[in-house]
Amino acid sequence: MRILAYLAKRLVFVIPQLLGIVLVSFLLVKSIPGDPAVLMLGPTATPSAIAALREQLGLDQPLYMQFLIYVRNLLHGDLGTSWQTTRPVLEDLLQRFPATLELVTFSLLLAILVGVTLGVYAARNPRGWVARVSDLYGLSAGALPDFWFALVLIFVFYTVLGWAPAPLGRIDMIVIPPIPVTGILTIDALLAGDPEAFWSACSHLALPVLTLGLLNAGPILKITQSTMETMLESDFSRYEVLCGVPQNLVVRHALRNALPSIVTIISVLYGFLIGGAVLVEIVFSWGGAGQYAVQGVLNSDIYPVLGFVLFSAIFSLIVYIAVDLVYFLLDPRISN
Amino acid sequence: MGAAEVISKTENVSGDAGKAPLIDIRNLRITFPSGGAEPKTVLKGINLSVQPGEIVGLVGESGAGKTTLARSILGVPPAPGRIAAGEVHFEGRQILSLSEAELRRLRGRRLSVVVPNPRAELNPLRKVGDQIASMAKIHLNVSRKEARRMALQMLRDVQIPDPERRMDAYPHELSGGMAQRVVIAMALICNPAFVISDDATSGLDVTVQAQILALLAKLAAEHGSAMLFITRDVGITAHFCDRIAVLFSGEIVEIAPREALFLEPAHPYTLMLLAAFSHSPKLRDSWSVPETARRRELAAGCQYADRCPIAQAVCRTHRPPFAEVSPGHFARCHFPVRHA
Ligand SMILES: Nc1ncnc2c1ncn2[C@@H]1O[C@H](COP(=O)(O)OP(=O)(O)OP(=O)(O)O)[C@@H](O)[C@H]1O
Ligand code: SF4
Ligand SMILES: [Mg+2]
Repeated sequence: MRILAYLAKRLVFVIPQLLGIVLVSFLLVKSIPGDPAVLMLGPTATPSAIAALREQLGLDQPLYMQFLIYVRNLLHGDLGTSWQTTRPVLEDLLQRFPATLELVTFSLLLAILVGVTLGVYAARNPRGWVARVSDLYGLSAGALPDFWFALVLIFVFYTVLGWAPAPLGRIDMIVIPPIPVTGILTIDALLAGDPEAFWSACSHLALPVLTLGLLNAGPILKITQSTMETMLESDFSRYEVLCGVPQNLVVRHALRNALPSIVTIISVLYGFLIGGAVLVEIVFSWGGAGQYAVQGVLNSDIYPVLGFVLFSAIFSLIVYIAVDLVYFLLDPRISN
Repeated sequence: MGAAEVISKTENVSGDAGKAPLIDIRNLRITFPSGGAEPKTVLKGINLSVQPGEIVGLVGESGAGKTTLARSILGVPPAPGRIAAGEVHFEGRQILSLSEAELRRLRGRRLSVVVPNPRAELNPLRKVGDQIASMAKIHLNVSRKEARRMALQMLRDVQIPDPERRMDAYPHELSGGMAQRVVIAMALICNPAFVISDDATSGLDVTVQAQILALLAKLAAEHGSAMLFITRDVGITAHFCDRIAVLFSGEIVEIAPREALFLEPAHPYTLMLLAAFSHSPKLRDSWSVPETARRRELAAGCQYADRCPIAQAVCRTHRPPFAEVSPGHFARCHFPVRHA
């Protein structure tokens, strides 16, 4: 019941939150210098042709009118058209956002696996070598640029060893992609029962996922380690030891109590990576949503940018609501 | 620490020298790293034994080392303390020399502890029924269902109202008194031979305290458990302890059967303590050693000399012997109080 009341309260705020985000990003995007009409028509365009196009695009209207028109269109499910791809932004994003989501989700799963495992191990053995390595790792993982790490991995696993496919997209050119259902290639391939497409998609995921997964394991590791240390030193863990609870069970219970903090950092990373993966997307020609938005920024193509912001914002809101639900499940004390 | 090294022979302070004690603590010394070269000695050679079924009270002011003793008996002194010397003989074994795995199997099953402030010590995210049941499951190798049945029975035994519903309660949903009962249930579910109650009721109000202590004593008797009953309140021990030891600054300064301790206290500190407790609750609250006095440990001589009203020159130079003033009644004092 409390969960439902909470959800209702959360959802009431979603619309104003989204509106605010759209307004701020609209103003920001509009403040970027550059005239799309000029870019669209090229260097040989006449001033009158440019003026005509500006009028057609609504660029001659005052800013607030442009914003109201954009919002009105949004309410009709129209996110505008990209002049670069000449397609509706919604269509473009529905194709590209799943690509980013797939990349980021698998990366995060790897980061969780590495970060939580090492973090728990380091907390159990604070003087062991894993703890020392993890200190170093926690420091350096944050300092390594991801595109650089990606290039190193490409050099080693593609150029030298030849184990990985060329960093050109999400699936081999010669493999026919599965019929899009979710837009997530691995899942679509499984749905279509196409093992060849599945393996091709997996092999293309390997290096970018390794890049983002290993780099983002750092913060998860640090949080897991410090929270687990606190939990293992806390009164209830000490009491369990006094009661003769076996060590591995004490650790399991402590991990359960540490989960809320770990879930928090994971959700923050998830929201961040949707946009934060853009350099890696570019290195691997991923064709993801981040890459699409950056192209938009560079070419005064504002609707892809705004569409991306909107998608990311909705995604983050979903993640945060999901996380709050997880807190509800994890901690019986959150009842008011 | 010169003071501690003076203890050379093991002093027999068991209540009934004829019978084999259930647990026999010999010359237990616990030190804490102190920053300096010399670690700080918090327990200075404790000798204490308890007979099967006996309830021994251990009274001491805040900082005397009571919790340190309770945990060290179980082989886990509070961090970063370490067991510098000593033995604990229990059911025919020197348990401090057992492997960690063997010692773990004794803790909670044969030797258990009732902790103070249980709402902090219980895991906040686990239902109390599960926490009680897991004691039985871990130690007695019973099925999950049987463990739950036993846990429910324990909740009835500790007289928690509406036990079926409390099985699924979380610690934060319980009152302090109820949480205390839960911890007692956890301590007794495996029928331990020896229960240590460490200041178990200090956080509760007086009427609840009395109820819970009565319950604890009754259950310990029913389960056939001997008990070390640790408290700051000497008054409580009068109700149900067979013998009482007085701990001062990491050292047992007096031990005696209950009547002897209350009627004929031999150590000046015990005398002061009884006087203070019979007088005012205010004195009781202020009853703790100032940290500076505690740190100034005498290399030789009596630990209590600084505060003792009848201290003589010899008290500062010579460590008093632990002398038997009457059968089973020992005091560490050069000038034990005589009663006509
Ligand atoms: N981490 C530590 N480092 C150094 N000394 C410590 C540490 N923990 C406890 N001590 C010392 O050990 C002594 C005994 O502490 P202990 O907790 O056993 O006392 P206590 O008798 O249980 O007191 P209380 O009645 O307040 O619970 C204290 O004098 C304290 O100064
Ligand atoms: S030995 Fe001396 S100082 Fe210590 S308690 Fe006895 S009389 Fe007091
Ligand atoms: Mg204590």
